[in-house]
Amino acid sequence: MLLSSSNSLALSPWFAPVRFLQRDARHFQIIYLSLFLLYGILELGWDTQLQRIGLTVGTCLAVQGIFIAATGRKWHGLKSALISSLGLCLLFKANLMTTVALGAGLTIASKFLIRVDGKHIFNPVNFGIVVGMVVTGDAWVSPGQWGSSATLLYFMGAAALLVLLKVGRIDTSAAFLLTFCGLEFVRTVLYLGWPVDHFFHLLTNGTLLLFTFFMITDPMTTPNHPRARIIWAALIGGLTFALAHLFHLQSSAPIWALFIISPLTIAFDKLLVRQKYEWFSK
Amino acid sequence: MKLNIKHLLLLTGLLYWSLPVNAFCGFYVAKADAKLFNESSQVIMARDGNHTVITMSNDFSGAVKDFAMVVPVPEVLQESDIRVVQQHIFDKFDAYTAPRMVEYWDHNPCQVVLTDGFARPNTTTRSMDFSMVDTVEEEKDLGVTVEATYTVGEYDILILSAKESSGLKTWLLGNGYKIPKDAEEVLDPYIRDQMKFFVVKVNLEAQKQSGYSSLRPLQIQFNSDRFMLPIRLGMANAKSTQDLIVYTFTRNGRVETANYRTTKLPTDRDIPEFIMQKGLFGDFYKAVYDKAWKQEGRNSVMLEYAWNVSGTNPVKCDPCNTPAVTFAELREAGVWWIQPGMAGGYTGQLFVTRLHVRYGREKFPQDLVFLNTPNSENFQGRYVIRHPATGTMDCAEGKKYQRNLAMRKKREMDELASLTGWNLNQYQWYIGQTETTPPRKIEPQIEPDRLLAPTKEVIGAVEDTVEQAETVAVVLEEGDTTERDAFIEKAQAEAQKASTPLNSNWMLVLVAGVMFAAGLWFRRRQRT
Repeated sequence: MLLSSSNSLALSPWFAPVRFLQRDARHFQIIYLSLFLLYGILELGWDTQLQRIGLTVGTCLAVQGIFIAATGRKWHGLKSALISSLGLCLLFKANLMTTVALGAGLTIASKFLIRVDGKHIFNPVNFGIVVGMVVTGDAWVSPGQWGSSATLLYFMGAAALLVLLKVGRIDTSAAFLLTFCGLEFVRTVLYLGWPVDHFFHLLTNGTLLLFTFFMITDPMTTPNHPRARIIWAALIGGLTFALAHLFHLQSSAPIWALFIISPLTIAFDKLLVRQKYEWFSK
Repeated sequence: MKLNIKHLLLLTGLLYWSLPVNAFCGFYVAKADAKLFNESSQVIMARDGNHTVITMSNDFSGAVKDFAMVVPVPEVLQESDIRVVQQHIFDKFDAYTAPRMVEYWDHNPCQVVLTDGFARPNTTTRSMDFSMVDTVEEEKDLGVTVEATYTVGEYDILILSAKESSGLKTWLLGNGYKIPKDAEEVLDPYIRDQMKFFVVKVNLEAQKQSGYSSLRPLQIQFNSDRFMLPIRLGMANAKSTQDLIVYTFTRNGRVETANYRTTKLPTDRDIPEFIMQKGLFGDFYKAVYDKAWKQEGRNSVMLEYAWNVSGTNPVKCDPCNTPAVTFAELREAGVWWIQPGMAGGYTGQLFVTRLHVRYGREKFPQDLVFLNTPNSENFQGRYVIRHPATGTMDCAEGKKYQRNLAMRKKREMDELASLTGWNLNQYQWYIGQTETTPPRKIEPQIEPDRLLAPTKEVIGAVEDTVEQAETVAVVLEEGDTTERDAFIEKAQAEAQKASTPLNSNWMLVLVAGVMFAAGLWFRRRQRT
C-alpha cells in the first residue's frame, strides 16, 4: 500500500520536473554551471558583461544548430552547446568581442570537425580556450578568479558529486586529483618543506576544481573503458604537474595538459574497447 | 637534472630584516595622501619575456647602520645586474597611479553662463670593505657559501648560497641579522629551490660619500621564467599584516595574481564635498581599501590602477594626478624595451598595473605569482566630487535644483558610509546645506587600530615630494646616465638571450599535434 502510493507520487505530474532533470545529466550541468556563473558575477564581482555571455551562448548555439542541420544529427545536441558556452563564460577571457565569438565558434566546430570513429577527440571548451589563446594572443584564463572561499568549494564539490555519480566519471576526477595533488604534495611539502597550508591553498583553487569535476569528466571525450580513463586522467595529472613546474604555466597548466593528452583517447579506445557513452539513460 | 632545476627556479623575493625592528620598508600615497599604510613597501617590476628588473624602495626609518635586507634571488647576480636608483621614481609612480579625486561644478540653472565640469589635476662602485666576510672558515662548516661580494652605491652586497636552513640561520644570526620566527620555516624551501640570497648592508663610508641622506632604492635584474614575488620570507608573525604596492610594467596588458583573487578597488563613486578638505581624501582612500579588503575576505589582491601608457596612446591618464611618466623615469625603473621619443616622451608598447596587497601569514600561505594577461582595459580609483551651484535660485528650475540637491547629498552620504564604513551621524548637516561646504574641521571615524599619521604631515610630505620630484626629474633628464644606460643595455642583451625563437604555446600545440598523429597511427596499426 505504502509502496504503491509512493509510486503514484513519483509518477504524479508534480514530479515531472525531477524526472525531466534525471533523464539527462546535462540538465544538472546546465544548472550548476549557471549557478557558478551567477556566483562569480554577483558575489565575486567578475566584470563579465552580459553582451559577452549573450555572444558566447548565441554563437555556440548557432554553430551547433548549423552543424546539426547540416549533418542531420539530433537537436538535443544543443544542450551540449549550452554547457560548452557556460564553460567558456566561466573560463575564457578576451579583450575583443571577435575573440569571444571565435573562441565560441572553435569550441563547437571542433566537435564536428575533429572526429575519429564517430567520437570527437578534444574537449570542446578546452579546444576553444587553447586554440583561441594561441591564434589570437588576445585571450587568457584567470586561475585566481575564484579565490579560495570554503562555501564555494563545498558547493562546487557537492554539485560535482551529483553530476559525476550520474555520468559515472568519478574515476576520472579521482585519478587526476590523486596524481596531481600527490605529486604536488611530494614536491612542496615533502621535498621543499613548505608548511602544509601552502599545499592546501593549491587545493582550494576554484579553477582547478572546475577543471577536475566539470571538464575532464566530459563523457564524450574521455576514453570509454574505465581502466583507460584512469590511466588517461593520471597522465593529465602528471603532465599538469610537469608543465606547472618545468614551464611555469601557472595559469593554464591543466588546460594544456588536457589538450596534449586528449588525442591519446583514440589509442585508448582501440586498446581497451567499451561502448561509447549515451546521454540518455536507457 | 640539477642544472635544469637551477635554471628553472628563477624568482626573486624580498625580505627586509633590520636589527631594532623588523621593517618591510615604508611607503607613501599620492595626492592628499601620504604615509597611510604603516607596515608597507613598494616594488617596481618591469618584465617582458623571461627577463625581469625589480626595484625595491627603501624607506627604512631606523639608524642607517642598522639597515639590513635579505632577498632570495634565482641566480648569482653579477655586479652589472645591481644598481641604486633615485627614490623619486617611486614617489612619481605612486602619485601617478594613486586613487584620484575628480571635481565637477554644477551650474546655476537660473544663470545663462554655463561652466563645464573639469578635472583638476592635480653610482659608483668601490672595492670591497665587508666586515661580514671575516668568518670564512666558519661559513664552510655551516654550509653557507659567499658566491660574490660587491659594493654598489651605499650598499655592501653579498650573494650567499646555503645547503640547509639551520646553517644559514646561524650565519645570519652570527652576522647580526634578526630572523623573524615565522620566516625561518621558509628558509629551507628557498634553499631547496636552489635560490641564492642577496644580502644587503649599508657601507657607512660610501653612504657618507654618496651625499644622499636617505638610502636609495636597489635595482636588480635576472632572467627567469617565473613571474613572482616571494613574500613569505618577509612575514613578521602570524597575526600582523603588511602592505605591499607592486607597480608592474609590461608590454601588453594587465598583470593579475594567478594564485590569489585579484579584485578591484571600488571606483567611480560620488562622494560628499567635504572629503576634499585637507588630508581627508587620504583617510578616505585608506578606509575604502580597508573595507574592501575585509569584504573580499582579506585574501585578495587589490587592483588600484591599470593603464595603457604606450608611446602611441595620447591619453596617459585621465584625469592625471601628475604629469605623465617620462622616458627618463621609465628607464630609471628599468623598462628596457622603450625607445626615446619627442619631448621627453618615448615610443614602444607599455602597460602599467598597480596592485595593492595587504598580506599576513594566515591568509597568504603562498608567494605571489603573477600572470601577465592581454587584458588592456584601463582602470583607476576615481572618486567624484560635485560642487553645488552658487548664487540666487529664484527661478522655478533653481527651486527644483535645490530640492534635488538635498537628495543627491543624501545619496553621496550613503555612498560614503557604504564605501568606508564610517559612522556619519555627526555630519548630517551636510545634507541640509545648499551651497559649497564652508571649511570645517571634521574628524573621520576610523578604527583606532588603523589610525594614520597626522594630516598636516601628510600634506607637507606631498608638497615636499612634488618639489623633490621636480628636482630629481631634472637630475634624471640631465644627469650622468652612463650607469643607467649600461644597466639597460645589459637588460636588452639578457632579454634577447632569454627569448625563444618559437613561442612556447606553439610548441605545446605542436606536441598535441604529434600526440594526435601517434593516436591515429596506433589506431591504424591495431586495425591491420
